[in-house]
Amino acid sequence: MRIAPILRAATLILACAAPLRAELSVPIATRVLTFLLPAPRGPTQVAIVVAPDNAASLADAVAIERAVGGGVAVGGALVRTRRVPVTALEGLRGYRAAFVTAGLRGAHDDIAAAARRHAVVTITSDPACVQAARCVVGITSGTRVQITVNRVAARAVHARFGSAFLMLVKEI
Amino acid sequence: MHTVCTAIATAVAGLLASCVTAYAQAIDYSALQDVIGEPVTTSVTGKPQRVSELPGSMIVITAEQIARSPARDVPSLLKTYAGIDVNRWTAGQSDVAVRGGVQTYNARLLVLVDGRQVYLDHYGMTNWNLLGVASEDIQQIELLRGPASALYGFNASTGVVNIITRRPGDTTALRTEASAGNHGMNRVAASLYVPVTDRVGAKVTASRLREDERRVPATILDRPRFTVAADHVAAALDAASGATTATLGGGYDLSRQVEFLPTQLLSNQLYRSYNLRAGMTHDTEWGGLAFSGFVDWLDADYGTDGSIGGLARGLTLSNRIMVGKAAGLYRLGADDTLRLGFEFRNNHLASNAQYADIVGYNVASANAMVDLHPTGRMTTTAAVRLDQLWLYQSGAIARPAVDDPASYRQAFHRVSFNAAVLVRTGIEGQLRINGGLGYQLPSLTNYAFRLEVALPEPLPASLIVAGSPNIRPTGTWSAEIGYSDRRGGIRGEATAFYAHTNGAIAPPSEVPSELTEVQFLPGPVIVERYYAAGDYTTFGTELTLSGRLALLDWRANYTWTTTRSDLDNRNALSPILVQPALTTPTHKVNVQLGYDGGARWLATGILRYTSATQQFALAPEVPLAVVKLFHVADAIALDARLGFRLSRGIEVFVAGENLTLAGGAAVSPIPADRRVRGGLRATF
Repeated sequence: MRIAPILRAATLILACAAPLRAELSVPIATRVLTFLLPAPRGPTQVAIVVAPDNAASLADAVAIERAVGGGVAVGGALVRTRRVPVTALEGLRGYRAAFVTAGLRGAHDDIAAAARRHAVVTITSDPACVQAARCVVGITSGTRVQITVNRVAARAVHARFGSAFLMLVKEI
Repeated sequence: MHTVCTAIATAVAGLLASCVTAYAQAIDYSALQDVIGEPVTTSVTGKPQRVSELPGSMIVITAEQIARSPARDVPSLLKTYAGIDVNRWTAGQSDVAVRGGVQTYNARLLVLVDGRQVYLDHYGMTNWNLLGVASEDIQQIELLRGPASALYGFNASTGVVNIITRRPGDTTALRTEASAGNHGMNRVAASLYVPVTDRVGAKVTASRLREDERRVPATILDRPRFTVAADHVAAALDAASGATTATLGGGYDLSRQVEFLPTQLLSNQLYRSYNLRAGMTHDTEWGGLAFSGFVDWLDADYGTDGSIGGLARGLTLSNRIMVGKAAGLYRLGADDTLRLGFEFRNNHLASNAQYADIVGYNVASANAMVDLHPTGRMTTTAAVRLDQLWLYQSGAIARPAVDDPASYRQAFHRVSFNAAVLVRTGIEGQLRINGGLGYQLPSLTNYAFRLEVALPEPLPASLIVAGSPNIRPTGTWSAEIGYSDRRGGIRGEATAFYAHTNGAIAPPSEVPSELTEVQFLPGPVIVERYYAAGDYTTFGTELTLSGRLALLDWRANYTWTTTRSDLDNRNALSPILVQPALTTPTHKVNVQLGYDGGARWLATGILRYTSATQQFALAPEVPLAVVKLFHVADAIALDARLGFRLSRGIEVFVAGENLTLAGGAAVSPIPADRRVRGGLRATF
């Protein structure tokens, strides 16, 4: 009958609406920044840590840049991004936060060290980076958003989040 | 004595660091919902939680759902959810009951706006046209089903409605709506949000509503009817500096409407309310502190057409309530929390129909709640609260006095509690078992009312209808078990509930001779009082399903409620006016279908079924009007809203309630009519 194709189409639409994504969810990641104390205000540059020769990392960076576009207004901040190559992490100096792209597991130690030196809050979609206390915030956004904050990593970069936010997320 | 208590308790409240709602005001609900992907609430445990993970039965209606709903006010929004009974007695007067217990002037549901009580203590009721909030300014409406006195104190004995309004943002915004419809309905509302500095935001909201009353059938004793009026204006300043936030606000509300009193008399009322509120929160590494307070003044005129209950006079009541709260929320590790709180309230009533010039009480409260996660799959929550009340009276005592003045100098306490266990059975499946004990405090009218009525000749006595200083809080025990899960894009929830209410308070209309006192002061005086009419037990089930299919969202719910009562009318001439077994619908079904393509058109339709009930009203019998039960037929009502977006921020709409013109849709002895309106909504 005609119901079967309709159901198939509906299933396809539903599947497209909520994909299990590996890349970072930019709307959530930028919103997380507003729970920092003090919250960033005005123009706020966020680094995208990327390995140009890594396809997964590059694809993640492109997706982030596309989502941010000319800037994302969130809270009192206008978030813009700029790439920082994983081979030149001293470039993180001056940033308050960095989006760590996928596919950089071999560089997590170096990224964490640079983030500590320059007090940069690192946000990633890679749960391993947060579990290992190399990144501060992990975001997975399948059918259900899960945010993980690593307390040790946050302390290392002198980041403090509002307690309301921390009570909603998983803190490890 | 009460002065000393007031001073001590005020000092304690000022010095100590609980109140769920106080902490709640520091929360940016919109931001948290954006980041988590679902509504967030603090109303169950005091800490922010996902609605899908609560250790309690809660409904959250978001701003988006409100904007798409055909409902014209908060009761209309609530009526389409499981476990909720909404009686729209007249065009202006509504009552909301949770899981049975339907009666006029329902005293067992506490209603708050941003943590400030809008439940009116003078009569123990909520005037839903006196909330002081425009629907466009609402961030979300939270309804917690089941006793919540351990969290909120007296009167949250069957549930709590907490209305959270929007906070000023970082950009200037204006939300407006203008609409008009049949039955003389017209409404304008506006909310302006302005960032004063980068740390301070201001909000000003105002609304004005007029509509005609419903037609009263000849079988019910009528009153002259005026146009329903509901106006409000409010302003607030929000400031944030680092980890500290502060808020200061105030408002004025007016409501005029005809209402069924608890005695079932129809009467015209005028309410004017003024309020001031302030709050401060401080976020720390270990949790947070919150302080808040408010003062509400209410001037209520009863019988504004010059008569009430056959008397050629009206009643005036002036109620002032002052509340101070302090709360501390402590994080015990990554997931566990402890909340400690203190509260003090002073509440007094002045009236031209009461025992003394002033009758009031002070209440000092302390409460504690723990929220523990012993395993990754289990959450346990326990809360306990102690409320100590001191009753007092002052000023001239109305003569003849039917009570010893000393009987108004007394104190008592109540301990309420809530407990819950939540077990996760899968990614989204969870089993919840919870229960508690909550109390409804007798209203100030229950304590203090005194109205002398001349009896017709040749009767040698006069009649005094009176409150009683000895009346005690009504306790409600409850338990429930619920299971929720999501399968294949469909979310389902099933709950079985039980509630037992002790000592339900009934008005003194035609009370039985066994409860009628005769006093000689020095002449004979018949005294009839508010009294505890007995107990009743309510149990039932709620089933809810919801889902989304492409651009269509849908939800459906069914509620079965049954009541067994032990309310003895002791051979009175008329039935006791609290009869939840007769007045509560046994079956309710709601089915909603919504469409929003995100482009031009959006539409919502809701089909509501309510089974038949009986409701009280006064029939114009000769020589005296008598209370009777009126049959209210079962009803299938259709509510619908169709919107068209002219641009991103401008929408024209048409909406209607009870389009099927089902007389029983309002669950009132006055048949429901069809209300249709159209208008323009704009956001800049």
